[in-house]
Amino acid sequence: MKTRIRNGANAGIVFGIVTIFLILIGFTGTAAELISKLIHAGSLARSLGMTEGMFSLLLFMAVLGILAGWYGGRQLRDLPDTWSSVLVRSTLAGAVHGLLVGIVVYVIGTLNANGVKMTTYLPQLLPAAIKQLLFGMEPFPAVVFYLILLTVMGTAGGALGRVLGRGAWRHRFAEGWRRRWESLQHLPSVQWVAGHRWSRFAFFGIIILLIVLLPLVLGQYWNYTLGTIGIYVLLGLGLNIVVGLAGLLDLGYVAFFAIGAYTVALLTAPQPHQLNWNFWATVPFAIILAAIAGILLGIPVLRMRGDYLAIVTLGFGQIIAILLKSDIMTPFTGGPKGVSGVGGPTLFGRGFTDVHFVYLIALSVLLVIFVTRRLQNSRIGRAWEAMREDENVARANGINVLTTKLMAFSTGAAFAGLGGLLFAARNQFTGPEDHNLMVSINVLAVLIVGGMGSIPGVIAGAFALKGLPEVLRELEDYRVLAFGALLVVMMILRPNGLWPTSRRKLDIKAEDNAPPDPEAASSTKGAQ
Amino acid sequence: MLDVRAHRRRRLSAYQIVQITLGVVFGGYLLWRLFDLFFAHRVYGPETWVQFALSGVVLGSVYAIIAIGYTLVYGILFMINFAHGDIMMIGCFGGYFVFEALKAIPAGTASNPDLKLLDAQPVLAVVLAFAVGISIAALSGFYLEKIAYRPLRGAPRLVPLISAIGASIFLENAAQLLFGAQRRDYANPAAIERGAGWTIPVGNASVVLTYTGVLTLVLSVLLMVALYLLVKQTRLGRAMRAVAENKPVAELMGIDVDGVISRTFIISGALAGAAGVMWGIHLGLVYYFVGFIPGIKAFTAAVLGGIGNIPGAMLGGLFLGVVEALGPAILGLNFQLKDVIAFGILVLVLIFRPTGILGEVLSEDKV
Repeated sequence: MKTRIRNGANAGIVFGIVTIFLILIGFTGTAAELISKLIHAGSLARSLGMTEGMFSLLLFMAVLGILAGWYGGRQLRDLPDTWSSVLVRSTLAGAVHGLLVGIVVYVIGTLNANGVKMTTYLPQLLPAAIKQLLFGMEPFPAVVFYLILLTVMGTAGGALGRVLGRGAWRHRFAEGWRRRWESLQHLPSVQWVAGHRWSRFAFFGIIILLIVLLPLVLGQYWNYTLGTIGIYVLLGLGLNIVVGLAGLLDLGYVAFFAIGAYTVALLTAPQPHQLNWNFWATVPFAIILAAIAGILLGIPVLRMRGDYLAIVTLGFGQIIAILLKSDIMTPFTGGPKGVSGVGGPTLFGRGFTDVHFVYLIALSVLLVIFVTRRLQNSRIGRAWEAMREDENVARANGINVLTTKLMAFSTGAAFAGLGGLLFAARNQFTGPEDHNLMVSINVLAVLIVGGMGSIPGVIAGAFALKGLPEVLRELEDYRVLAFGALLVVMMILRPNGLWPTSRRKLDIKAEDNAPPDPEAASSTKGAQ
Repeated sequence: MLDVRAHRRRRLSAYQIVQITLGVVFGGYLLWRLFDLFFAHRVYGPETWVQFALSGVVLGSVYAIIAIGYTLVYGILFMINFAHGDIMMIGCFGGYFVFEALKAIPAGTASNPDLKLLDAQPVLAVVLAFAVGISIAALSGFYLEKIAYRPLRGAPRLVPLISAIGASIFLENAAQLLFGAQRRDYANPAAIERGAGWTIPVGNASVVLTYTGVLTLVLSVLLMVALYLLVKQTRLGRAMRAVAENKPVAELMGIDVDGVISRTFIISGALAGAAGVMWGIHLGLVYYFVGFIPGIKAFTAAVLGGIGNIPGAMLGGLFLGVVEALGPAILGLNFQLKDVIAFGILVLVLIFRPTGILGEVLSEDKV
């Protein structure tokens, strides 16, 4: 009984804290808005004597309550999985959840009623939001309401979890789908298509057709988004070489992006140097300069590994960012204002529109994918991967670690320079704010989400991280927050990304077969 | 072995050539600037130098406190706790809200009816601010480890680092969403108002020794002594050292390794929290990003002293603070570029002496 109580209460505390956090960051209001948009329950809400927003908030809170109950009543190894155990735990979880949320709502409501301006300290708690949070009631009845609502929902969630989560039907369902998928794969016609050498060409043909047709259909905004995704694919592919293939964690990657962007900007813009070059003439300069910068950064950090390398490259990136922002660089780079009036590309005397930029970026992406694939399967690519796995063994096998590392840095930097030059040309502007640390971290996240070392992974990651947030615009404020949480969760659940390379899949399988020996693993890793 | 070495031709590697070139260029410039400043032009008077050094020492002591947190965690887990600066930010906010709450409580007397509790009881206010800041930072440290790092025990080294970066982004943005993006002024009690202090004559002029600076310095020295005693004298300290030395063997000796790691995070979080409140009281600004730059600089300090080495972190912090305060003047740089100095030092140290000033603890292989 005691364990049940503790487990249930713990679940309630966890969900209570999460719910309170969501209330304080204003997420509950945003979620209510989204729900209102989805279900249009205005008339139903009014018949219950509530506004639409309150009704949606009620639904959202109910969902949270059900989740708390579900989590509280989940199957645990040291507890019997009986109805009484589940219901006791989930009800308790719901009650604790309701109590915690209720207390916070009460405090917020009373302070607000006493004329304390909550927005001074917690800017999300606008008076309207507080009114919605209290469901238009006085603070005390609201607490009772929350307590009852969340307790009932907790019990319901526990029961729901017991019914849905453990039944044999779930297993059977998954098994059925798996079997159907396998039989599909074994169909002679499917095998004929998959094995035919034309199906590859057909696949690429469809992709290229999509790339050509899609921008014509989409509006300006979506083309811009597509272009951003493409630039992140470029950056991701470059960092993929440095981090994914060569295993050198570079957090100052934005520096090369900045070098590419600023090279084009300074060479083509009327200010501050009046060079007014043609865009096409600057392309090789931007790429070569970025590659040289990659080598220059690579030389001092050649001997470092792992996290020291990460911090030093981070330091380099910050140095570049601070220099770009400072006043002393104003005569050279435009200082904090940045460079505007960057010249865009022209073809046959005509400037590029958004659609053309998407084509240009897509073309660059295809080119970079081609180069990456060739490199990856070449001698240098194998050397990178060998170095990533074990530097000493790679050296013992006759790989020149110095040049191999420098090659990785400069190739990655060249791709970033290409990305930067496209970015500056498309935006017709570049400034220090475009080249902050978040760019490095975003690109790294693209890699991690997609799966290190894998090209389709990078593309999937760029779409997931740069495309999805554009679809869910209401959640824009919470994007970076979710992104931080996502990094942690990905590392715990899927450290190899959404689309791991086949090599990594093999690695994981090998580990699965080995007897579990975490201590030995950690000690060898620690001694690296 | 011996004759192999005797017959080997002595040749400089490319890396050594880079080292030597950089060393000569940088050292030459430094010598020239020093000569220029102290013998040729004398741009600054002695009082300016003393003032720079004083502010450097105070800031350095805060860096030292944060750096110890990095070093403790690195010594045990071989991972950079990237979110450490954000734990400091949490502590900073804790102190801020204590001061704001006390500012709202009236404690009027007959002579001064408008007096608030904050100004009436400055000692209580400061003690309370530190207590709250330290506790919530310690708590965050504990949960940070439990949620973001513990499930990754035994994973390749990149994995916890990325998780730490994620945790750092999460904490920063959570603070931004909760408290807004604006920079807030830290409301000190009137008795330790920022900028106020004792005036000390130096040469023909005088320098100000601020109350907040003295408070920060004294407190951080006390914390450092306390930590040193904890690590050297107590049972927990011995367990921590054993775990840092060799985890499996420590476990065999009956040490609860996970418990020790948890407690290490609590201690490092508490130190970061104290540093956060000091930062707020002394420098007077708090916002969601306040922990980032001090965090990176404290990491630099930890590396400077030899990461994993506690006295090294203290020394490194003080050194970094002083160099950062004197550096722009000595090198003749714009003061906007103060932060570049810290990163520059980091890069230089890692190039020339990756094991740090005091660091014989780690072999170069670990770097």
